[in-house]
Amino acid sequence: MKLEELSKFNGQNGEKAYIAYKGKVYDVTNSKRWKNGVHMARHKAGEDLTDFLALAPHTDEVLKSFEVVDTLETQESSDTKIKETLINLYQKFHPHPVLIHYPLGLFFFAALMQALFLLTSLKSFDDSAIYAFFVATVMAVPAISAGFLSWWINYDKQTTKIFKNKIIFSFILLLIGIFNIILRLTHPNIAANPDFTFVLYNVLIFANLFIVLFIAFLGGKITWA
Amino acid sequence: MEYTLEELEEMKQIILIAIPKEISARDFYLKAAKKFKTQESIQLFLALADQEKGHEASLRKILTEIDANIKKLKNEK
Repeated sequence: MKLEELSKFNGQNGEKAYIAYKGKVYDVTNSKRWKNGVHMARHKAGEDLTDFLALAPHTDEVLKSFEVVDTLETQESSDTKIKETLINLYQKFHPHPVLIHYPLGLFFFAALMQALFLLTSLKSFDDSAIYAFFVATVMAVPAISAGFLSWWINYDKQTTKIFKNKIIFSFILLLIGIFNIILRLTHPNIAANPDFTFVLYNVLIFANLFIVLFIAFLGGKITWA
Repeated sequence: MEYTLEELEEMKQIILIAIPKEISARDFYLKAAKKFKTQESIQLFLALADQEKGHEASLRKILTEIDANIKKLKNEK
């Protein structure tokens, strides 16, 4: 039988109580420990309990006293298989934690170089800042993509507060990055003639440092709770 | 026990974050099992891996229940 069919045998309202374990369906209707289809106020009949037995204070030996009435047909979709493969690859290579360090470090470096430029007016610091900012923005793309992959395979794309904030601020980070690079490309001598554009350019360089730190903080909360 | 929507969403977040940790722990024990040749050691780590699978299944079950309660509360509003 299929899982949907098994769920009908929940031991309630006169129905029989069936449970599945490692592909076999057992009839536990007459067991004292399965009154009204409920076992130890925790497990319900009509379900596949394969994964739960390891947590029980008994082994699967107890099932030998029950009649096997059918086999359980597994219905693994192609989507599930793809997801399992991706989870295994993700567990092996950890792309999101690896990639996030590049924008994190480089946005910090860009802000530091810009601060030194503002203090010393040395052009080399200005150059370093924009190059670091550019690479940080480029590297944010694979880092955010890996974040979406992680969100999909590890958290089923659930939109709780922490994930919503990570997504919103990641896009803000990226948009500021792109905007500031365009701003710099269209105003190559921005530092020579400080005006409102120069102020905006500076504010956005430092803004992205705080945004990336906030995103990293949220990532830390997910990883280390 | 009645929970508020905020409490349920906080619980959901905790459960969601815990699931991949159980998957990682299972993977860790499965890899550990491969490092040994004696049946006793292999069985020990496989049993620990099975327990992590059990934790994951329990968490997924709780998540389904929380989602159902969140949906119910939102419909009541």
